[in-house]
Amino acid sequence: MPSPKVRNAKWPQKPIDPFLLAAMERQSTQPAAPADARTIIRRLHFDLTGLAPTPEEVEAFVEGSSPAGNRQSAIAAAVDRLLSSPAYGERWARYWLDLARYVDETASWLEKTTSAHLYRDWVIKAFNDDLPYDQFVMRQIATDQMGLPPQDRHALAFLGLAPTYWKELQLPPDIIKATVADEWEEHVDTLSRTFLGLTLACARCHDHKSDPITAADYYAIAGVFASVRHAEVPTMGDEFWLPVKKARESVAALEKERDELKKKKPAPADLTNQVAAIDQKIAGLKTGTPHFNMAMATAVEDAALFVIPAANNKGTVLDFKPGQARDLELMKRGDPNKTGDIVPRRFLSAFPAKDGQPRRFTTGSGRLELAQAIVQEAAPLTARVMVNRVWRHHFGRGIVDTPSEFGLTGDAPSHPELLDDLTARFIKNGWSIKWLHREILLSAAWQQSSLAPDSEKRDPENKLFARMSRRRLDFEAWRDTTLACAGTLERSMGGVATPLTSDKNLRRTLYGTVNRHELEPMLRIHDFPDPAAHSAARTETATALQMLFSLNSPFLLAQADALVARMEKEAGPMLNARVTRAHAILFQRPPTAKELAMATGFLTGRETDKKAWSQYAQALLASNETQFVD
Amino acid sequence: MNRRAALQSLAGNSLLLPGMLCELLGEDARGAGTAAPALTDPLAPQRPHFVPKAKRVIYLHMSGGVSHVDSWDYKPRLVADHNQPYQVPRKMLEAFAENNRSPVKFYKKPVWDFKPRGQSGLWISELFPKTAECADDLCLIRSMYNDHADHAQATLGIHTGSVNFTRPSMGSWVSYGLGTQNANLPSFMVIAPVLPYSGAQVWASDFLPGCHQGTHVVPGPNPVPNIQRRLPDAELQAMELGLSAALNRRHLLARGNDPQLAARIRAFETAFGMQAAAPEAFDLSKESDATHRLYGLERGSTKGFAWQCLMARRLAERGVRFIELIDTGASGNWDSHGDVGGDHGRLARNVDGPIAALLKDLKGRGMLSDTLVVWGTEFGRTPFNTAKDAKGREHHAQAFTCWMAGGGVKGGISYGETDEYGNAVAVNGVHVHDFHATLLHLLGLDHTRLTYRHAGRDFRLTDVQGNVVQDILA
Repeated sequence: MPSPKVRNAKWPQKPIDPFLLAAMERQSTQPAAPADARTIIRRLHFDLTGLAPTPEEVEAFVEGSSPAGNRQSAIAAAVDRLLSSPAYGERWARYWLDLARYVDETASWLEKTTSAHLYRDWVIKAFNDDLPYDQFVMRQIATDQMGLPPQDRHALAFLGLAPTYWKELQLPPDIIKATVADEWEEHVDTLSRTFLGLTLACARCHDHKSDPITAADYYAIAGVFASVRHAEVPTMGDEFWLPVKKARESVAALEKERDELKKKKPAPADLTNQVAAIDQKIAGLKTGTPHFNMAMATAVEDAALFVIPAANNKGTVLDFKPGQARDLELMKRGDPNKTGDIVPRRFLSAFPAKDGQPRRFTTGSGRLELAQAIVQEAAPLTARVMVNRVWRHHFGRGIVDTPSEFGLTGDAPSHPELLDDLTARFIKNGWSIKWLHREILLSAAWQQSSLAPDSEKRDPENKLFARMSRRRLDFEAWRDTTLACAGTLERSMGGVATPLTSDKNLRRTLYGTVNRHELEPMLRIHDFPDPAAHSAARTETATALQMLFSLNSPFLLAQADALVARMEKEAGPMLNARVTRAHAILFQRPPTAKELAMATGFLTGRETDKKAWSQYAQALLASNETQFVD
Repeated sequence: MNRRAALQSLAGNSLLLPGMLCELLGEDARGAGTAAPALTDPLAPQRPHFVPKAKRVIYLHMSGGVSHVDSWDYKPRLVADHNQPYQVPRKMLEAFAENNRSPVKFYKKPVWDFKPRGQSGLWISELFPKTAECADDLCLIRSMYNDHADHAQATLGIHTGSVNFTRPSMGSWVSYGLGTQNANLPSFMVIAPVLPYSGAQVWASDFLPGCHQGTHVVPGPNPVPNIQRRLPDAELQAMELGLSAALNRRHLLARGNDPQLAARIRAFETAFGMQAAAPEAFDLSKESDATHRLYGLERGSTKGFAWQCLMARRLAERGVRFIELIDTGASGNWDSHGDVGGDHGRLARNVDGPIAALLKDLKGRGMLSDTLVVWGTEFGRTPFNTAKDAKGREHHAQAFTCWMAGGGVKGGISYGETDEYGNAVAVNGVHVHDFHATLLHLLGLDHTRLTYRHAGRDFRLTDVQGNVVQDILA
């Protein structure tokens, strides 16, 4: 696409800039001035890693980016440094996990998710490795059918972690069918909103009112999910797995034998010996079988589900037929008990393949063909949705501001040609998300100041991107930064989730346990999305419960104490030096004379009182300047 | 410099935080919740669609499924045909446990006697003798039905209108529709000793902004999380807040007038107020002995439904918009498969007196006319059972009773009827969506217009259904 003509030819730095500038010039608006170096480095660190820069990183950047001629290369170097830091994947994985309604634990009466964290770690690694986005998409739908090593099966938890609903099998099939149909709908909803930015679930009951999506399209896709079931699958090849499987079955049988033996009445005379003998056999199997503790992936496997009456009409049976697939009948107004014609599994009719017809799904459940269609026939849409998501995280506003809703009921794109151009180049550059970050972060647009009174007045929603939108940190970034600034952040990556409520939990927030049934209140009050459904964007609220957390929670109090200890250690006993250090750690700048006077006023007469210092530290940690990025 | 002077110098001349500064400086001139909320406050009072009859709701949820035929729905035929055989329709049979599926069941007479009550002569059983004294204030809806006969789903149904999907709770919808009258307390509060079926999803705001979610209050010394001031002395905290306010004010002034920044400053102010307002609301020491006696609450106790009911009245007085009390939780509840007489009897003794006390207390204070009290449960229980000696009853979503009282409903009436045995709705069925539509109507909200755009469409509490039950409106 040709670059639009602009009057201010000096301003653009990257191809996105002329598109934005041309629109501004049409509205007689000027871009905001470039942000200063301290603002840029703070913004950059939060955008890419979700953590504040250290004072040393700030000073090095400030030095490296002057004179002005060095600025762009200093930014490029910082972007490279941050994109190759592991913290980058941790930050961007969490955005993805919101879309994937990621959880570590589900309700006790539903299917267990024993190894969800391995999916979370897979996503982190995918971002850090810059796995091409088309691959990233396909693997989460069908990695087991792509000839990839079995270790990659953790990717399937995108499907395997779908919510399930309780099915009381004593109830008749017409009730259970409705529950199962709701589960299929959840799959279709999350898949279509995450990858395609389409609300396909609307078409369960009727043809989509505003988009070219029919009810038949819905059932054509839902059939794929009627042909899979949740399964824990091995992450090594059969040569390792089959012996492990056999050994695990033997262990289960032995454990059962032992438990029954223990229950026997009267107890056999040599019970202790018998139990010991069984335990020895179990231990032998566990240690003698290579990879006995092999991780299992929370995944799906192909198996068609039929909901049928039990024998003698006593309730319902979920009849899974492994390896088989099924096409669904169209359900009138979404009611599984009022069915119409069978709809063969296929991709959406709005995205025909080369032969003019939507791709048919004929291999197994059709997961692989579905995945292929998403990144081939629907590539322009699929890529556009992801480009817009990344854009939105960098600018605080999307080109389409309803990131999972690209249909006609969603927000119209503010800069359609820009989105087209960036998407085309994203695909051309191998669907590389790191390439996309560089295109955006090195642009003049992204480097604008957030202070632009004229633009704020004329365009409060910042649809023209004629300034940077001021953004609030999400809870993860705020908690992580609090820990990092206090010097207590524990940086080990990955592994099993641990509860955030524990005062020993000093890891990044994305490693805190998320329970779908009972979301941790600390997360709930801080706008963490409900993990029972795809979340396109977080709702931002400022509530009293959040502020009570800032004022009185043991977490923030402990971190305030730790920050004081760090100030003392790094800046010595003098008040001015400590306050200066605190501003450098938290705000990446020295305090003003007024701020020094305020601190002095607050601490006068209490300079040696640790509690007073802790209050001072807490006020800084809870302040707006800590929580917002200019 | 003394503390007060320090504070003056830190926070003086603030234009943004007059309310906060008043309190910080001990010059509190305003009553609870009278501060004008900022324009950006998502909890600011909203204008209803039309003039409301009720300003707030107290919803009493009995967890587990209360037997309608033993309480509010008098079926003399059950007495006459006690232990007479009943051929259960095949569909209904499948709702029974496997070992309980013989097609011939036996009608079971109510465990408690019924008699007409009050001037209205509503028939109510001896299970709830004290609430029955308020019969002339009650509007019994005897034709309720729900979409599911399992606890988890039915509980979600009565709260959110959806038995499977995650949807906002009715309390969240009301908070979203009307905002709050007291900025120092949450708009939607749930007092529940333990988690109900479906857990916190019952009061979740889901796609509505998070400030509309229910604040879960657990009876006991720490009802609201992080509410306890950690500093020993309010003045110390005031100094710290003064510092915070000053920092935030300087930050804001350097950035024009960003509503997000202002909203957070305002929320700090609310939190500061809540530290005082919430403990004050939860402190019963100033309630008289007579009030304690009325509710049947021992002084100093936080136990039982009596504490929950008295707390509901106090929160209602303080402007909380939607107050939900959950009796028991996901176990040890009204789910009386084995022994209705024993279980229902024991549980009713815990709630009956306090519910009656709540109605009388609200009425005595002139609050019943604009407070809608709703009593509900997720489903009823079967009028029959498998064996002649069976003492329990099974789940029954096809027909059950809820009631409303106060704000805008007719008192002393019953609406809808079940058949002569209480098996199925016979006249004027009220689906959960109708129930919700009516509740919103009483608050001045049109359920078809109270919408929120999410995932490409406008969602409502009542999905695409629901009719206001006009006949019960006063």
